[in-house]
Amino acid sequence: MKREIRIALTGNPNVGKTTLFNALTGSRQHVGNWPGVTVEKKTGKASRNGFEFEVVDLPGTYSLTAYTADEVVARDFILEERPDIVVQVVDATNLERNLYLTTQLAELGVPVVIALNMADMAEAQGNPIDYRKLSAFLEIPVVRTVGTRGEGLKDLLDAAIREAETSLHHEHTIGYGNETETMIASLADALSADGDLAGRYPLRWLAVKLLEGDENVLAKVRGGPASTRVEEILSRIDPDEYEALMADKRYEAIAAVLPQVRKANLKEMRPSDMVDRVVTDRYLGIPIFLALMWGAFELTFTVATPFMTAIDAAFAWLAGFVAGSIEPAWLASLIGDGIIGGVGSVLIFLPNIFILFLILAILEDSGYLARAAFIMDRPLYALGLPGKSFVPMLIGFGCNVPAIMATRSIEGEKDRLLTILVNPFMSCSARLPVYILFAGVFFPDQAGSVVFFLYVLGIVVAIASAKLFRSTILPGEASPFVMEMPPYRIPTAMTALLHMWSRGSMYIRKAGTIILAGVLVVWLLASFPFGVEYGSAESFAGMIGHALEPLVAPLGFDWKVAVALIFGFIAKEIVVGSLGTLYGTGEETLPTALLADPGLSAATALALMVFVLLYTPCVAALGVIRKETGSWKWTGFSVAYGLVVAWLLAFVVGRVAGLFMGGV
Amino acid sequence: MDGVCPLALLAAGTEAKVADVRAGKGMQARLFGMGFCPDARVKVQCADRGSIIVSVGDARYALSKGIAMKIIVGCAKGAA
Amino acid sequence: MNDTAKLVYGAVLGVLYIAAGLLQMVRAVVGPIPGLEAFYLTGNLFGGFVLLVVGAVFLAGVRNLAAGAGEGAIFVSVGVLLSVAFGLVELLALCALGIDAYLVGEWVEWSVADAMNPLLYLAVLGAAGYLAWGRTFLRGLSAA
Repeated sequence: MKREIRIALTGNPNVGKTTLFNALTGSRQHVGNWPGVTVEKKTGKASRNGFEFEVVDLPGTYSLTAYTADEVVARDFILEERPDIVVQVVDATNLERNLYLTTQLAELGVPVVIALNMADMAEAQGNPIDYRKLSAFLEIPVVRTVGTRGEGLKDLLDAAIREAETSLHHEHTIGYGNETETMIASLADALSADGDLAGRYPLRWLAVKLLEGDENVLAKVRGGPASTRVEEILSRIDPDEYEALMADKRYEAIAAVLPQVRKANLKEMRPSDMVDRVVTDRYLGIPIFLALMWGAFELTFTVATPFMTAIDAAFAWLAGFVAGSIEPAWLASLIGDGIIGGVGSVLIFLPNIFILFLILAILEDSGYLARAAFIMDRPLYALGLPGKSFVPMLIGFGCNVPAIMATRSIEGEKDRLLTILVNPFMSCSARLPVYILFAGVFFPDQAGSVVFFLYVLGIVVAIASAKLFRSTILPGEASPFVMEMPPYRIPTAMTALLHMWSRGSMYIRKAGTIILAGVLVVWLLASFPFGVEYGSAESFAGMIGHALEPLVAPLGFDWKVAVALIFGFIAKEIVVGSLGTLYGTGEETLPTALLADPGLSAATALALMVFVLLYTPCVAALGVIRKETGSWKWTGFSVAYGLVVAWLLAFVVGRVAGLFMGGV
Repeated sequence: MDGVCPLALLAAGTEAKVADVRAGKGMQARLFGMGFCPDARVKVQCADRGSIIVSVGDARYALSKGIAMKIIVGCAKGAA
Repeated sequence: MNDTAKLVYGAVLGVLYIAAGLLQMVRAVVGPIPGLEAFYLTGNLFGGFVLLVVGAVFLAGVRNLAAGAGEGAIFVSVGVLLSVAFGLVELLALCALGIDAYLVGEWVEWSVADAMNPLLYLAVLGAAGYLAWGRTFLRGLSAA
């Protein structure tokens, strides 16, 4: 007989919950969103001893109040969906705070199993936890696990099976002291009048939540038969006071257990605290951070070179092979010029993106990025951005799509929207080929400085826009910074690679879908109407370009550039490939063709690079903006704002550069 | 308790006991869950113009000045 | 390694890194400095900045150690880690450039000297400190 057991994984943030989830379910998982909120929902399957498990990974929370979207999702799932077993993942190195959540779960009266995770770390610190004793004290099964090495998974599932099979569940309650208990009792008594409510939730839990002033629970009671009496009792008390009192009692209960299950071993100052003093040093903190960022970009661009050379050669060979062996000619052109050329020009930046994401993953997993966010909070806050916007901004240098997804860690809605809106100005690696081409051709001696200038310009525009939005459409201050500093860890290759892959694969998916479709459209527009020369002024592409030329003429751009920019909307990498097509040269001889074009001066080239940096986010990024903001209005705003800023700045930069270099 | 002050004003290396948390409803519950509840012992590890890294039990948190001003601590023995 | 040894070690590395950083900055702004070719200064402004930062971390450690502050040794240890980390960055970059030169067929003209710079050779001194006590420090750090 096969039985299904539904498990909800819960726990504090940063306790290795996701690692444990991955270890439990392997590749049998599904990632989606919780309905109505942008909180990721992960479910997966596991099996053991003839039992099938459905594992749901709940967002990490510190408590089961209902103030943040994460908490509401976690609490509602446990309360309303009633999973068979709730597994709380507990960080063994941080028992006190983790058990606070346990006390709240216990009050809910759901069957709980504790996965005492990172047990190896606690042991390495000379602070092993007697998990059998802990289990006896809490009257909850406790299983020792090490998620990173997959230890204890079978025991965990076995414990879940045992708990699901038994019908004996204790209600573990904490005594809150005479006065509070009297209040709880009278509230519970009043609540019992509401049969519907009493049937669904434990009365004591409802009473405790009401005493804490939980709006969510109060809303459930309101209008019901118990409403009047409950409100009457509540009107006599100050919920703030009770909330503090009960939190205190919970910690007291935990403090009573702790010395029984582990040796008190709070070191005066740990090495990691001392390292924190160095890397968050008032004077050295930011320079150290900048130096590390320089190292990250140095690695990104140099280490990627041989890979890029190899990919380039492979695509060149493939294109040559196609051109030489496929009939008829139009099909060879479609596959060779269109698909292989287009997708190839995008995939060549794969090494860049993957190496940057790998380095960021290593910095993040080591615990350093949390410190960097802390030191960057002060300058960012002054600009109206929350400190947590900083990691998404960094990821934006690789690709804006995962960067915008990463804004999910930002709590305030306004803060999050602001970070999403300014993120596209961070120069992603898709824009680099445009810079490399034009800076290389028109500024051969200062190419590096020109590219650097563009990156800085992107950051400046992002900052200025944030300031502007703060004083106009998104007024207010950035929410204050509260972030847990995870202990430093030496990142394992496996987790860093997985982390890199989860972000980098978005880019590959983009190359495989949107960009492939985009290059096909480019090819079609450049080849039709039937009979015209590929990419000539008479093709559809040429007609579109001519129609748009007046709009970009003040910037010094001609119809070819206009077409390339339109196509760049699909993905900015395509700008280079489209110009190659439109100049009818292919990418190898494009630099010569560009230099020979009298319509293009150095100043115009600079204006073009500025325009490419700032104008509308690409289609993939817009898709994510739409999904994450849930609003077409903001998505449209992002396009319009980007276009206006790009046009204005390109105009100014082009004119100013023209004054110095002559000719626009 | 005599001598209370906001957590933000403590110097690096100072230990203290939380006396009161005067944050808004949601933030208060969150801080309780993180361990900043009355009578909890905290230690400031790093301090930079009001922004601090503080330890509560085994956990380390970075708090910006805005939050650190809302956690009121009683200055433990020895400290002013 | 005791604190006195760390103090001397930190002072030597701090001075070397700062000197290399300043020279590289000068090289970047003014141009090649005659007579200093043997130091492989690259004229990379940001590379110079990184050298200065690493040097400053070492010297901050020396100042704290001399003043008897407890965390002085930590600054020197972090300096060692930074020195080794940037050395690795440059080593990887060097390998990558070499492989690329091989791939595009310019292997014959390429030499290690093309990619040599102070961050690379000063990291040898950093690696010595890493072997002496940095490893234990790093392990202690991630365990606690």
